[in-house]
Amino acid sequence: MPLFRSTREPIDPLVADLTAALDADRVRADGAQRSLAAHDASVFDGGIAGPVCFPETTEEVQAIMRIAEQHGSAVVPRGAGTGLAGGAIPLGRPVVVSTGRMNKVLSVDTDNRIAWVQPGVINLDLSKKLRPKGFHFAPDPSSQQVCTLGGNVANNSGGPHCLAYGVTDAHVVSLEVVLPDGQVAVLGGAEDETPGLDLRGAFVGSEGTLGIATKIGVRITPNAPAVRTLLLSFATVRDAAQTVSDIIAAGVVPAALEVMDQRMTVAVENYVAAGYPTDAAAVLLAEVEGLDGGVEIDAARIEELGRANSATDVRLAGSEKERAALWKGRKTAFGAVAQIAPDYYLHDTVVPRARLADILEQIYEITDRHEVTVMNVFHAGDGNLHPLLVFDAREQGTLERVHAAGAEILRASLAAGGVLSGEHGIGVEKQAYMDELFSPADLDHQNRLRQAFDPACRANPGKVLPMGHSCADIQALREMPTGVWG
Amino acid sequence: MDLKINADDLNACVQCGLCLPHCPTYRVTGDEALSPRGRIHLMREVQDNDAPVTTEVVDAFDTCVQCRGCEPACPSGVPYGRLIESTRAVLADTGAVSTRRQRLAFWALSRPRTLRLGSTLLAVAARLRLVPERLGVPTDLPFMRGQRHTSGDDVYLFTGCVMDAWQRDVHDAGQRVLEAAGVGVTPTGDLAPCCGALHTHAGLGDPARQRAEATITALSNDDRPILVDSAGCGAAMKEYGHLLGTPEAAAFSARVYDIHEWLATRLDDLPTTAKLDLCVAVQDPCHQRHVQRVHDATRAVLAPYVHKIIELDDDGLCCGAGGAFSVLHPQLATDIRDRKVDAIERVSPDIVASANPGCSLHLAAGGVEVMHPMQLINQALHQRT
Repeated sequence: MPLFRSTREPIDPLVADLTAALDADRVRADGAQRSLAAHDASVFDGGIAGPVCFPETTEEVQAIMRIAEQHGSAVVPRGAGTGLAGGAIPLGRPVVVSTGRMNKVLSVDTDNRIAWVQPGVINLDLSKKLRPKGFHFAPDPSSQQVCTLGGNVANNSGGPHCLAYGVTDAHVVSLEVVLPDGQVAVLGGAEDETPGLDLRGAFVGSEGTLGIATKIGVRITPNAPAVRTLLLSFATVRDAAQTVSDIIAAGVVPAALEVMDQRMTVAVENYVAAGYPTDAAAVLLAEVEGLDGGVEIDAARIEELGRANSATDVRLAGSEKERAALWKGRKTAFGAVAQIAPDYYLHDTVVPRARLADILEQIYEITDRHEVTVMNVFHAGDGNLHPLLVFDAREQGTLERVHAAGAEILRASLAAGGVLSGEHGIGVEKQAYMDELFSPADLDHQNRLRQAFDPACRANPGKVLPMGHSCADIQALREMPTGVWG
Repeated sequence: MDLKINADDLNACVQCGLCLPHCPTYRVTGDEALSPRGRIHLMREVQDNDAPVTTEVVDAFDTCVQCRGCEPACPSGVPYGRLIESTRAVLADTGAVSTRRQRLAFWALSRPRTLRLGSTLLAVAARLRLVPERLGVPTDLPFMRGQRHTSGDDVYLFTGCVMDAWQRDVHDAGQRVLEAAGVGVTPTGDLAPCCGALHTHAGLGDPARQRAEATITALSNDDRPILVDSAGCGAAMKEYGHLLGTPEAAAFSARVYDIHEWLATRLDDLPTTAKLDLCVAVQDPCHQRHVQRVHDATRAVLAPYVHKIIELDDDGLCCGAGGAFSVLHPQLATDIRDRKVDAIERVSPDIVASANPGCSLHLAAGGVEVMHPMQLINQALHQRT
């Protein structure tokens, strides 16, 4: 067996130019590397990636953009590859720009409550660095221990604690971005009010289709003086959903309100052993933050509302250790499903809070009908559902059933007045449903905005906007052989 | 190529990526090929899709420190250690990893006299500065080693190979601590000269199994607990049941305890004494924290004897020692150690405690003052006031 057969491209002028701009170690064109960059944490397969670059500075990202432009190549940014909508997968052999080496916290200004970071900084690393100074970065996606700030900006990510603090957009004050032609632009600013159109706001959530953020100015949030975490158990999912709705209606603003159904709770408890009740149909994890006296009152009110909705048990986390264990369970829920089946497809729709219980019942009905196992874990406070369809892709016909059930769930959510994505983004996953949410005029305007940043459609082409409404994407996505290692 | 990985083990990974930040080689390179998820993806491509085993693929597998920090981080319970061990065993069979020269060094581990002679020669060479600095060989290796003595037959104290040659003073300290708790100790010495852990990591399956069988045979005349003060050896011996797949091996593994784990349930037997006036940062050896998962015991045993225990803030990320890793991949090992040294400097302790010989040698080579927890406790118990 030829153990050491090299798979480097013989002479690829694109790779040669990139290598000259960075160095050989940081431009990787081997088959293994390109195959790895073909995937993120979603079920979607791209083609094979082109060369994978590891820039360290804004100037190097500029050089990559310019070289890609000269060679007519598309560019796809990649953080930790934890996306769930296929936003970072390569279509049409693009240059992949990994932010893995742009991982420095550049400055922390506690007086003005702003930190400047490179896009490859891991979300939790930033908070860990800020905690001893009395601050943290509020958006806390479940994948925060691995996902990067650049990815958070691209997807306008949320997290359990965004209920009280708002999602990523509310915490990004300014961005230094490299546009697809290699120019640098600074969007937004450190001042509270910046003049002109909010281009920063347009960039946040654009999923890499407008350029690559190379420096991110984030708002840092003071740590709360007191925290109470409650775990409520219910005999039905409807009771849990109703409690959530009642808590918000009562004017309480918890930091987080998270629900898991029984299947999910069992899988999670099996991993963390945090004391989650495995016999409850649903559990509600509620957290309140603030001043000592205030959290006492809020916690008591939540308990009262839970009991009014027939909560079978209400438990207050007695220690920081107990609280951390409960959160570890909630935040590793997606990964824990492999105990049930090797593949999962995670949805991300948002529905009006008052309709939560109805939609959940529909989801169970839809998945039963398609014979697909569903596990529910969701940011209940803002109506952001995360039904996980778990399956074994090796079984014939399963993936088709999963997709069919998923499509029905999306449509049910839209029919209830909801939206396609709460925080995971559109990527390639929900692209086909965009025209069910937006009118043709809406989509055309979105495309024109995109073209203002990226006239040649080389920034993460083939994502977000549906094909009919996006510019010259189709040209950039010409057929490429897939599944080739060398 | 068949990497002989169990298909269910391989399929347990859902590619969520939660392992990435817990992987030392991913942390210092940002390269997904050097991450657990990346390596598992490559294993799948090679085993399931017959992708060619290129230099880059070999490099991905060869650079794994095998710290197994990814295992506790994995909510799906992927048995990563089994995956990488199997992969490396197949690659070693083909000669892609673990070269003949490396194998000679591994062969010497189970020949105690050869090892001690070699070790003394190395000590001389290190004093004369003839050993390349990048190998991290300490310049104060002992020329001579004290005599072992048996003080009773309550427990075995497993002494191992390199550690016995280079750090016998740690075993002596462990033995004196046990004796202070009224425990009679039989050091295993040349009776069971090597546990085979380093062979397993190198993918040398047959020699590893021979070492395991020899160790089991030598220590199975009775069913005394076998205490181990080297985290790497302890972890390997606790996994003999899996390595050999026999009931005897599983029964043997059940007798193996990390010395702190065993003492933590007998704290009352240990004498109280004045605390050492030291703030101690505990560096958890990976095979104690991620594999044996008994690192809390170290704190329980050590706490009564020192002024204060300080925690590092790096979630037990590997220090880069990894058995022979620091010798085979010096640049990566140094980059990984730099992160650990930074974490240590952030809490500015008086001294670092580490319960694994590889970690303490590697950290010492990076300028960190390190002692084994048993040495600290022994010092507290026998300090002159």
